[in-house]
Amino acid sequence: MNAAHLLKRLLGTLPLLLGVSLLLFGVLHLAPGGPLDVYADNPSVSPEALAQMRVAFGLDQPLPVQYVSWVTAFFTGEWGYSIRTARPVSQEILERLGPTLILGGTSFVLSLLIALPLGIVSAVRRYSGVDYLITFLSFLGVSMPVFWLALMLQLLFAVQWRVLPSAGIQTIGSDSVLDLLHHLILPAFILAFASVAGWSRYMRSSMVEVLGQDYVRTARAKGLTAGKVVYRHALRNALIPIITVVALDFATILSGAVITETIFAWPGIGRLFIESMNGRDYPVLMALMMAGSFALVISNLLADLAYAAVDPRIRYE
Amino acid sequence: MATAQQRGGTLTVGLGYDIDTLNVYSTGFLGDVQAAVVEGLVAPDAKANYVPVLATQVPSVRNGGIKVAADGKTMTVTYRLRPGVKWSDGQPLTSADVKFTWEAVKNPKFIAESKDGTEDIASIETPNATTVVVNYKRVAPDFMSTLFTFGILPKHTLEGKDLNTDSYNEKPLGTGPFRVKEFRRGQYVILERNPYYWRKDSKGVQLPYLDGMIFKIIPDSNTLVTQLRTGEVQLAYSIPYSQVKQIDGVPGLRIVKNNVLSWQHLDFNLKTVDAFKDPNVRKAFAYAINKSAVSKALGGYPNPINSVVVPVFSYANAAVPRYDYNLTRAKQLLDAAGWKPGPDGIRVKDGKRMSFKIMAQAGRSTDEDAQQVIIASLKQAGIELQPDNKSGVAFRDARYKGNYDLFYGGWITSADPTYSVFFGSKGVNNGQGYSNPRIDTLLTRAESTLDPAQRTAALREFQSALMADLPSIPITTNPSMIAVTEKLGGFVPNPTNMTNFVNTSGWYLK
Repeated sequence: MNAAHLLKRLLGTLPLLLGVSLLLFGVLHLAPGGPLDVYADNPSVSPEALAQMRVAFGLDQPLPVQYVSWVTAFFTGEWGYSIRTARPVSQEILERLGPTLILGGTSFVLSLLIALPLGIVSAVRRYSGVDYLITFLSFLGVSMPVFWLALMLQLLFAVQWRVLPSAGIQTIGSDSVLDLLHHLILPAFILAFASVAGWSRYMRSSMVEVLGQDYVRTARAKGLTAGKVVYRHALRNALIPIITVVALDFATILSGAVITETIFAWPGIGRLFIESMNGRDYPVLMALMMAGSFALVISNLLADLAYAAVDPRIRYE
Repeated sequence: MATAQQRGGTLTVGLGYDIDTLNVYSTGFLGDVQAAVVEGLVAPDAKANYVPVLATQVPSVRNGGIKVAADGKTMTVTYRLRPGVKWSDGQPLTSADVKFTWEAVKNPKFIAESKDGTEDIASIETPNATTVVVNYKRVAPDFMSTLFTFGILPKHTLEGKDLNTDSYNEKPLGTGPFRVKEFRRGQYVILERNPYYWRKDSKGVQLPYLDGMIFKIIPDSNTLVTQLRTGEVQLAYSIPYSQVKQIDGVPGLRIVKNNVLSWQHLDFNLKTVDAFKDPNVRKAFAYAINKSAVSKALGGYPNPINSVVVPVFSYANAAVPRYDYNLTRAKQLLDAAGWKPGPDGIRVKDGKRMSFKIMAQAGRSTDEDAQQVIIASLKQAGIELQPDNKSGVAFRDARYKGNYDLFYGGWITSADPTYSVFFGSKGVNNGQGYSNPRIDTLLTRAESTLDPAQRTAALREFQSALMADLPSIPITTNPSMIAVTEKLGGFVPNPTNMTNFVNTSGWYLK
């Protein structure tokens, strides 16, 4: 793929993102309630105060006007202020991005490191005891609710054995990396568990298919060792379908893991999203969802690039 | 009483919500952290009676603090400030700060949720540094449950600043026992001792006893309980009823029951549902609901109530019309109202089935459990209810606009509740469209007199009239269960919306 093609692809995403933004804006504002209803929850709030706030946030304007002013502001990098906290949206998101990337990134790498070998072993030793065990574990991983597993592990590691903290990103007052890693173990493992289960199944079936191909049989017939057949000849082709699945999951790292972050009191994007949703904090919600859409578009692009890298037969003109 | 050795230590508190701002006037929550940092002129105590804080006494007609004008239409409230009080940056507190608080909160540019009370004030005079004379536009008996009780703002650091975006919202400056050391959003707030705090204990020991407090933000209630068990959190309130017994068995923890000023109720939508316009139908609902069963389903902690005024208040009326659980009576009333049992057991009138939607707040397990009991109770009388639960803003929107048939929920009030917001024809929280001129008259009378006897009489009569009319069925009053380390001394729960942290200076760790 050359630079011109890349640029073309990137420009092509602009109308897509614009359409997505219109859709998101519409859906958000169609949902019942508005940001000021949070304030109205307090019996001591006066209707005059609410009216003042409506004007201050531009909520008294017609929806199309609100949308146009949002789009122009967004594309000039002006993301507005959170209605809930009155702080700049960009600051609000940046603060939460770090913890989310740490948690999501760790669990992503962890998942890849565990899922791919598991899938390969499962495929190579099809219908063996190891395969059945891995299959059993992945079904467990796919079907076990995250919150339940989290609670059980918290009870075991934090309450019974007292070896790991039950929640939070750090011991208060400590900024050491070791302390952060200590807090990272449980949530990262739990987040990885479900991905590992899914990805290893994809890896297995993809590998099984490739191992049945003629060229693999030829390689075997030529007398190559089993290891060379699997890792030199089969693996590359087996990886291609996995890239799509993994790349799409990659985008979700940026959106945060709502349940895991809530259970482990992890100050990330997922929790920010839920709080903003419950308060209909339109500026934060729009920024978060647009960032999520953008991440998805970029991941798709990356997946295409990765295809080409793994399989030289794929060329983008 | 704490001894000298019991001075020091840090208490870790678990909070179940994500703090939006530390400014008491603009937060969407009740201010827990704020209450330990910012003080008002007066505050409600553990029995919901107002006591002086920054003022030397609670103004009243008897002590001359409140003077009603000769025409009986306006009033003047005079506060004498405690001398020698300093902000936590060492500057003195003066009457100018009190006047500034009113001006700053009233300012239309300040986007605040709590502006209540600012419009009632015509002017404020400050004849000297410790005297504040507040001239009210009307006789406002509820003046203490607003404005200066929430907290005083520092003029010397906030004058000319934009309160919407000022750093005050992250690090409020107050006169309270603690000051904010660090606030990390989504994680924690660290409070440290205010070295200038004005209060001393009876032996002359400088308060507060604690070196500091940490408020940890833990949104998941199961995790909060886990943190209590591991000792990572030493105090947490609103423990789910289902987990109270489990915590009670944890060594080192005790459970404190706080009888908060709250009542749970079932509201009828009188605007859109014709069936509810018949008072006998409403009464049949009341007779058919087994309030003790509701309480039992919630671990037995809630207490059944017969009036919307909870028994804590002196003007609670025990002689209101009662609707004790009586299924036979409920069925008789429905029969008489023309609702006859249909083929599937559900009553029918003019071809219409007695089937309604009942809304509660989604995710609030206590309310959802109670809702199930109510649905089961009413089924016995031939009434079909279908849950229609909503969360967050959607729930509030439906509640205010009245987009429901029936609504189950609760209110928590200040020490001095204004019932007209719920039951007055123009009440801002009256989403059900209830209107009764007699109730309006009684509430206006109660809310515009300073005479305790007249106020009590009007409020007692209001309760009787309301229960006879029954637009809303009071079900239970739900206490808040607090889990706290046995090491904490001096802890007294507060039942009002000023939160448990309104007086932390006397807390100590053994």
